[in-house]
Amino acid sequence: MASGRLSLTDTVRVGASGLLARPLRSVLSALGIAIGIAAVVSVLGISASSQAALIAQLDRLGTNLLQVQAGQTFGGTSSSLPLTAEPMIGRIGPVQTVSSVASLTANAFRNSYIPAGQTNGIQVKAARINLLDALAGSMAEGSFLTAATENYPVVVLGATTAQRLGFDHWISGSMVDIGGTQYAVAGIMQPMPLAPDIDRSALIGYPQAQNALGADGSATTVYVRTTPEQVDAVGSVLANTVNPANPNEVQVSQPSDALEARIATNDAFNSLFLGLGAVALLVGGVGIANVMVISVLERRSEIGLRRALGATRGNIRSQFLSEALLLAGAGGIAGVVLGMLITFGYSATRGTDLVVPLSAVAGGIAIALALGAIAGLYPAIRAARLAPTDALRSV
Amino acid sequence: MSTVASEPAAATASADRSVMELRDVRKTYPGPVEVLHGINLSIVVGERLAIVGPSGSGKSTMLHLMGTLDQPTTGQVLIDGVDVSSLSDRELSRFRARTLGFVFQQFYLLDGVSAVDNVANGLLYSGVSLAKRRALAAAGLERVGLGHRLHQPPAKLSGGERQRVAIARALLARPAIVLADEPTGSLDTQSGADVLALLRELNSDGTTVIVITHDPQVAAAMDRQVVIRDGVIVSDTTVGGG
Repeated sequence: MASGRLSLTDTVRVGASGLLARPLRSVLSALGIAIGIAAVVSVLGISASSQAALIAQLDRLGTNLLQVQAGQTFGGTSSSLPLTAEPMIGRIGPVQTVSSVASLTANAFRNSYIPAGQTNGIQVKAARINLLDALAGSMAEGSFLTAATENYPVVVLGATTAQRLGFDHWISGSMVDIGGTQYAVAGIMQPMPLAPDIDRSALIGYPQAQNALGADGSATTVYVRTTPEQVDAVGSVLANTVNPANPNEVQVSQPSDALEARIATNDAFNSLFLGLGAVALLVGGVGIANVMVISVLERRSEIGLRRALGATRGNIRSQFLSEALLLAGAGGIAGVVLGMLITFGYSATRGTDLVVPLSAVAGGIAIALALGAIAGLYPAIRAARLAPTDALRSV
Repeated sequence: MSTVASEPAAATASADRSVMELRDVRKTYPGPVEVLHGINLSIVVGERLAIVGPSGSGKSTMLHLMGTLDQPTTGQVLIDGVDVSSLSDRELSRFRARTLGFVFQQFYLLDGVSAVDNVANGLLYSGVSLAKRRALAAAGLERVGLGHRLHQPPAKLSGGERQRVAIARALLARPAIVLADEPTGSLDTQSGADVLALLRELNSDGTTVIVITHDPQVAAAMDRQVVIRDGVIVSDTTVGGG
């Protein structure tokens, strides 16, 4: 018989019986931990789910797109990109794709009877036929401009443009009035997160723009795809390449920065909610410590009895410690389940994928157990130090 | 009712050997108040002994010292020839788990736990498996006449039944010595008589029974009566036979 040391199952049983003898108090004190852990797990789960959606979008669109625009002259008047801009950029080594749009002064209307003032904020632009490749965009319906259709009055509508012109669906043979000429609608594009202004545009071919609308063939915005490793290097030479005489009149930007900023914004909110979760956990831990201290005072005679039955100081210490750990562990598991349910509810309503980071689940339970250990340590030591005679005398 | 414990650990010891000996034991509490003034007492294996005295006489202190729950200020307490002051907390705990059984006036049963599990706790700290503890506990409750109450919580038992559960718990480890502190103090006359009969029966197998009481009638049920007053033994009489 190896006395003095309780098996793990006996220690857990003794701890559990202490908790089950006071079920309501046990549930209430575990609740504090559960709420804290649920807050932490759901915040991490929700942010992971929504970030997963953003990151997937970013991966699909790529971060290797650069955008070149005409800026302002030193004197403050708006400048334009030189005609040579696109071929010059195309000669930079790591550049994979170059495409562009040119803003035009014409407006697009559903038909010729619409008053000229009701432009609906739709811009008409000339576009290169490889624009979809450069922007990682796609068509909702119909087809984009081709080498053939760019020479004729054919238009492709952005997602917002189609709505504003009243096209719920693309029907072959639909026409739009641009500059007094009927243009055949070739298709409607999907929204383009990397170039939101394209959504509000009606795109026609460069040759058609030059022939019918008097455009000079120069671009207002050039889109440049590079090899992903060389984005910064290419970005730094673009201004000098496009306009060697006045590089300060060229604006170079990276459209994916906007999406990355949204992810960063989420992180800032996460810190706030995680902070609140930490406060809830702290309160939960104090609650458990409080309940354990009261429990030691109330159960002096039980402690005395156990000492009389042969419990060592260590046995008593591990009994109260195991009670605190069980309490916190139960709270932690309940909190993880609750947090996962909240995350599930969020992703179900938002239509994003359910992502609960394993680190949040494991971390949540580990934090709960650590809190239980810290909160239970002092009461357990107090219980173990109690002299058996004092414990038995106190009834 | 059959015998309660069939093979106490000390049963093999010779009949005249001291199982418990107090040598010039003094106990002083902070104050300072000396509660015991040099107690000398030798208890032989298999004795049925009552320590009698009014409240404040120091008899509870004697129980604590004999039960190794407390240490004398000066003097020695020897159990089975071992000076308990030389033992560590762990060794004392093992001593209490194996050699000593306690019965208290307030029973000290755990509320949320069934009668059989309360009794099984008598071997909790002795390294015996749960299944074996429960089997022994069920047999123990059978012996004290509570075989039909195994799964009742203490709250559903009468006072006399609770004390019998507590006695079954004290006997589970087959201790050489049972220390009972006012075992009938919370019971009516009939239940008290039953409990005393049970304690007397234990002894038929050689278990040493030490009852501490203020009640001369309880003391009269024991073979030897040690009267203590103001921390001194004033008489020590053995009626014998029983």
